[in-house]
Amino acid sequence: MNLLNPRFHLTVIALAGLVAGCATQGVHSPSGVPVTEMRPDEQGFVAGTGVESQDLVRVTDKMARSIVGIPQIAGAQGQPRIVLDPVENNTRFPINKDVFLTRIRVQLNSKSAGKVLFLARDRMKALQHERELKQSGQVTASADPNVVEFKGADFFLTGKLDGMSTRTSAGTSDYILYSFQLIDARTSDIIWEDSAEIKKQGLEDAAYR
Amino acid sequence: MKLLWPLALLTLLGVTGCVTPGRDVRLTGNIFVDAPMMITNGPAGDRILWEDRLALAALRHGDFALARRSLDNVLLNSGGISGDGSARLARSYFHPESTKRFIGEPYERVMAFYYRGLLYWMDGEPDNARACFRSAAIQDADNENHEYSADYVVLDYLEGLTTLKLAGDGSDAIKRAQKEVRASRPPPPNPKANLLFFLEFSPGPLKFASGEYREQLHFSVERPLAQSAEVVVDGQALRTGPWDDLYFQATTRGGRVMDHILANKAVFKSATDIAGNIGILGGAVAALQNNRTSQEVGLGLIAAGLISKVISASTTPEADLRAWDNLPRYLGFGAMEVSPGSHTATVYFRDGSGVLLPRLTKTLTLNVPADGNDKVVFVSDQSTSPQNL
Repeated sequence: MNLLNPRFHLTVIALAGLVAGCATQGVHSPSGVPVTEMRPDEQGFVAGTGVESQDLVRVTDKMARSIVGIPQIAGAQGQPRIVLDPVENNTRFPINKDVFLTRIRVQLNSKSAGKVLFLARDRMKALQHERELKQSGQVTASADPNVVEFKGADFFLTGKLDGMSTRTSAGTSDYILYSFQLIDARTSDIIWEDSAEIKKQGLEDAAYR
Repeated sequence: MKLLWPLALLTLLGVTGCVTPGRDVRLTGNIFVDAPMMITNGPAGDRILWEDRLALAALRHGDFALARRSLDNVLLNSGGISGDGSARLARSYFHPESTKRFIGEPYERVMAFYYRGLLYWMDGEPDNARACFRSAAIQDADNENHEYSADYVVLDYLEGLTTLKLAGDGSDAIKRAQKEVRASRPPPPNPKANLLFFLEFSPGPLKFASGEYREQLHFSVERPLAQSAEVVVDGQALRTGPWDDLYFQATTRGGRVMDHILANKAVFKSATDIAGNIGILGGAVAALQNNRTSQEVGLGLIAAGLISKVISASTTPEADLRAWDNLPRYLGFGAMEVSPGSHTATVYFRDGSGVLLPRLTKTLTLNVPADGNDKVVFVSDQSTSPQNL
């Protein structure tokens, strides 16, 4: 190889230009990732240390199975009526609190074979309006609309999410205790309680620390 | 072989220009126009920054729905454990720190959670508000030297107050807040107070770089104008000074891991530059000898020196100066007990000597609900006035 040859020099310069190469080299999935459908109980690649769908599924499945087996439900005369009372969030993660009780309710409705009934207290405004329409004769009624037929609750289903969080140079760790209770509306007895606990940890990229 | 050098030249032309061309986006200076445009058309890595700026502008304008949407986008993208390809690139020698997706320095991440928290409280969800204040505090929770970490007075105080309102024991959080006081001491919390004022004033921290290759990140701040606020509602007055100073928070959190990475990049850049100089100079001296072997060696050294210079020139230790630049400097809070119904609030801002700054005065018409929920009011010295809330 003749080092004095200008072509050699230009080749070297061209190769040097390769060093400052494409900006996307080393980037994972530079074009993004196509949308795929996942099971709600699967952990996706977008993950954090907070409350996620697979936690919701795991916790609510456990609670629903647990409620169905208690004597006050399994051996009840008639169908106990349950009202959902909003869950309290005592973690560091803002969450959609309604989704927990909604999923438990759906699981119970689908798996308890009618052993329990839930009262739609969140729809009372619409139901009251319908009753008023019937009372005023603006719409038909299949029963006497002046008789109060809205049911009272036998039990309240509620819960609380408690969290403990740590953050050090080694990473972030979050523990969440999901606890749910069924409360006797007449006596305030907690007739059922169950819980699930999940701990997660992670460390963010050094570029963000 | 004859085709080698033209091919090499073509490769050089093709590869060194291998940069995704940016869209030419012109800013109007109106955040409500620029932010949506930049979020859609600007660099993807800057989206969170524009959402942050838009959210705060919306809050000051009284557009809480827009603020909510923007902050939810911010927290969705930055609230978890962050790690992606752009972060890896930013750590590499040949991409600047600004390659990484912007999620903000800790004080900026704190503020995203703080603002979202006050909006949750505004919507009657004090527990989710508390969650945000806790997440905000944890953004500040770790630094290299473990000093000045998790030391926001307002965050701990608000955690305590929300816990009291939820019939819990907020005393630990209140004690932490009292311990962290540097300027204004917060009053004992009143769980019966139903009119809550989130206050902020004076321009916040800005970023600049120093060092041979601008690899050292620093913060600056303008001379503060407003340094206290007074809220008057139906003859009832509450006064607050700064509970927290974002400039103090930005400058005292301690070193970043990224600072070490940038320092290493600067050393590498310097070393390869020096090596390049030595190679070229040494090679030139050798190449000028009347000896074929020396000439060949000299040309080899020059070539190596050139490569080293190119590597040095390609090394990018510059610190990321992208900043949530419409943040305030001072945060304050006040609460009072009022009857449900309509009230007029006037918010006065004063300078460090207590002199009134009349052009910053804000007038608000407030409707305090009768359903037991708190009325949460956000007031900045940059808010529009009057507002009907």
